[in-house]
Amino acid sequence: MGKYSFRGGVHPRGYKELSAQKPFEVFLPKGDLVFPLSQHLGKPAVPVVKKNDLVKVGQLIAKADGFISSNIHSSVSGKVKIIEPRLNNAGILGESIVIENDGEYTPAEGVGEFSDYTTMTGKEIIDKVKEAGIVGLGGAGFPTYVKLMPKNPEEIRWIVANGAECEPGITCDDRLMVEHPDWVVNGLKVVLQIFPTARAVIAIEENKPDAINAIEKEISGDDRFSVLVLKVKYPQGGERNLVHAVSGQYMESGALPASLGVIVDNTATLAAIYKAVCLNTPLYERGLTVTGSGAANPGNYIVKFGTLASEILTFEDDIRLGTKKVVLGGPMMGVAIPNLDIPLEKRNNALTVLLEDDVETAQKQMTNCIRCGKCIRVCPLGLYPQMMAEAVERNNLQRFIDVHGLDCIQCGTCNYACPAKRPLTQLFKQAKPAAMALNRLNQAKKEGGK
Amino acid sequence: MTNESKSPILNVSSSPHFRSPLTTFGVMGNVMIGMVPATVFAAWHFGLYSMLVVALSIAAACGTEYLFNMITKRPNSLKDGSAIVTGWLLALCLPPESPVYLPILGSVFAILIAKCFFGGLGQNFMNPALAGRAFLLISFGKAMTNYSYDTISGATPLAALNNGDYFSLPDMFFGFVSGHIGVSVICILIGGIWLIVSDTISWEIPVASIVSFFIFMLILGGRGFDITYLAAELCGGGFLLGAFFMATDPVTSPMTWTGQLIFGVIYGFLSAIFRVQGSMADTTTFAIILANLFTPLIDRIPVPQPFGIGKPGASVIPSLEELAAPKKKALIPAAAIVLTVITLVAGGALAGVNMMTASQIAENERQAKLAAYAEVLPAATQFNFDESLNAKVAEFAETGYGDGAFGRVSINEVAVGTDDAGSVIGYAVSVTSMEGYDGEITMSVGFLADGTITGLAFTTITETAGMGMKAVEPAFRDQFKDKNVETFKLNKAGGSTTDEEIDSISGASVTSGAVVNAVNAALDFYRNQIAAAG
Repeated sequence: MGKYSFRGGVHPRGYKELSAQKPFEVFLPKGDLVFPLSQHLGKPAVPVVKKNDLVKVGQLIAKADGFISSNIHSSVSGKVKIIEPRLNNAGILGESIVIENDGEYTPAEGVGEFSDYTTMTGKEIIDKVKEAGIVGLGGAGFPTYVKLMPKNPEEIRWIVANGAECEPGITCDDRLMVEHPDWVVNGLKVVLQIFPTARAVIAIEENKPDAINAIEKEISGDDRFSVLVLKVKYPQGGERNLVHAVSGQYMESGALPASLGVIVDNTATLAAIYKAVCLNTPLYERGLTVTGSGAANPGNYIVKFGTLASEILTFEDDIRLGTKKVVLGGPMMGVAIPNLDIPLEKRNNALTVLLEDDVETAQKQMTNCIRCGKCIRVCPLGLYPQMMAEAVERNNLQRFIDVHGLDCIQCGTCNYACPAKRPLTQLFKQAKPAAMALNRLNQAKKEGGK
Repeated sequence: MTNESKSPILNVSSSPHFRSPLTTFGVMGNVMIGMVPATVFAAWHFGLYSMLVVALSIAAACGTEYLFNMITKRPNSLKDGSAIVTGWLLALCLPPESPVYLPILGSVFAILIAKCFFGGLGQNFMNPALAGRAFLLISFGKAMTNYSYDTISGATPLAALNNGDYFSLPDMFFGFVSGHIGVSVICILIGGIWLIVSDTISWEIPVASIVSFFIFMLILGGRGFDITYLAAELCGGGFLLGAFFMATDPVTSPMTWTGQLIFGVIYGFLSAIFRVQGSMADTTTFAIILANLFTPLIDRIPVPQPFGIGKPGASVIPSLEELAAPKKKALIPAAAIVLTVITLVAGGALAGVNMMTASQIAENERQAKLAAYAEVLPAATQFNFDESLNAKVAEFAETGYGDGAFGRVSINEVAVGTDDAGSVIGYAVSVTSMEGYDGEITMSVGFLADGTITGLAFTTITETAGMGMKAVEPAFRDQFKDKNVETFKLNKAGGSTTDEEIDSISGASVTSGAVVNAVNAALDFYRNQIAAAG
């Protein structure tokens, strides 16, 4: 079988072996749970419970506000303690619902009941996905039901399950495919119910042979399905690269995969779709990998949303002495958190504990750019990071736009590869909002001129 | 909150949190490792004095950078290792027995003027080591081209090749010849392969430059597909040292792979044309420095093509079977095609221009020759060619004239000068000495019928400006005029008293000797072949 690859990419040091063979353990929190109202892309949800209300597992506690937004469900049974701003994922205070855990885990009515998806219409399935509060679990948090409602449903040819998991260290998608390949494949079948003429592809990096085997076993005999093996390389799971892999077409900047007849969903998202549609279980828990050089007990856990990171990682038992950094997510795109009192939510796939902070070291090693061109060679989108950085450093946002700086997906590949340790991705993150504003201004001028 | 008291201070920063282990010092360190084989070989082949040259060069480079940073209150940048690389590279292209001031002055110039003044690492627009070398070549031309070592004569293999002397290609390949410190081709290749394998440099520049140099030498060299000649040209003159270590300097070469291919071709082309047509013995230095000047432009040419821009989507979505099948690999990689096309187009254009201008050039040369004849034999109004004289010239065309008695000289042509009435006034002999300091010197010598020299005019001379080029000035040239002697002698001391003696140009005894020999050859030819025949 041919292995898909793309030009560019890097091979950051991997340590997936720390947790790759560790089966999921269900982690039951003891303390209070904190549910930020914004766990997704779009508008924050609106609470539908108030202080002292009793809630059950799977009960709706906050409702989507508008089209791009998402429902939030309780992951435990207990009492609403307070609704107040709490530190969230983004490292800022955000309105959150705090629930006191009664430790009973009493399910809400109907949760876990079986439904047969084959008798459902597409609209019914999409409504269930919407109700269950499912968002992209790969990290972006885009409401999934919106993706399932493209403008051109009849043109959708491919449903791609993104199981690349190219971030170093993270293994929760790998474990999901090994332990529950049926969830992923059934999730795909549910989506195929909406798009009956489409075919399904499960994209997996070749360093996950167990997952490939499990999935291939699960799909054998059904010719609507196939496995796409990807070369091990970061960032192999990029959406545009996957769309190119299955459709042979290059997706333009700002375009949606659906415009090329492709829908890409993370494997964990598909498993959530299956559970929501067939088991009537809303999204209130997910797989999470604890890993990194500073993690004393690396492993994979099923974590209830709202659980504080400090419950899973205690400084006494789980974090090695001398740990410099804790990252929510993987080391390439994750967010470094200042302390562990941060609730885990829909978008978090890993807690990476690092003994060494490469960024700190890099600051000491930084030199002038030596124009070696490594950043250009590794950029998965074929951009010229050196020129983009030069433009930002000179405050020339127009030049930044001209060299297609707005196409940057901030994957950090160039930043990783740079021998001079220039803060490339940081510069791009910094420049992007202003550059986008300038771009809008330019377009407005152009249209005004007509 | 529970663990606040025990919580260590966690670092917070923007992603990515991983960085590759490669640092700027790592890149420079890899280049240093690549230079080790050639340096060790030089220590063994040329002796330990050559290591003193290397050490002085590195020390001067580092010292200059350190002092500059200190005086201008900049952070110390020695730890990035680039000054060491500059000093070391400069040393590799110095003569092994350089006087101590060469490496020191060269490194100071390289670091201070070519690098620090432009803003330090990454900001210089030309390779500092080569800028330093160019400075030395211009300022200390003689010391820089004196390649003798251990009292062994200093003729480099390339000089021998151009002179038609014997040289050994294997010796050249292994480095058992005279030349700059980094003379061993095999050591340079080992270092170069290490650089590519360790991902310090990419293959595009070395491959593009070597291939294009080879092709251009084939077109321009005038010896066709003479593999010994081509291999010797490739191995000689530090071309490969340049291709692997200097042209690949990341700072002064383009960043994209297409840009690097174009850059490599420019380097190969300039090297070839300088080799064939240039007046300087040195080609690599100036070829790279000039190619460096193209870098900013080249970097602007290939507009980035982000994923999806400028590429029309495939109209047919491939089937699963097609997806599963391995993609067909192109037989010839795209880079090779690009390279070939660039080279062929440039080569074709060059050949075309050459063909179109060939007749014009020949005509110009004829005019120049006639002007020279008129200058040396002003009394004549017409110049004719005598068949018997032409035959005599042809007799010696193959072997050169005088069996070495005048060095390597050849008689090109003899013209008979007549007045309007048609009576013979004298003869003009065009003669070439191959032993100029910098290649051939061609001149016309005019004789009256009794053998008195009426004058000297140079048609081709490419000697060192301010030194050998003084041969064209009357002070030297007119020493031959109106003399009727058996043979001339070169007087290196100066203050000549007799007609036979010719004062040497100060500091250019090679040029002076070549001219005297050429005049003697013309004189001999005149007496024994023209006058004797009547």
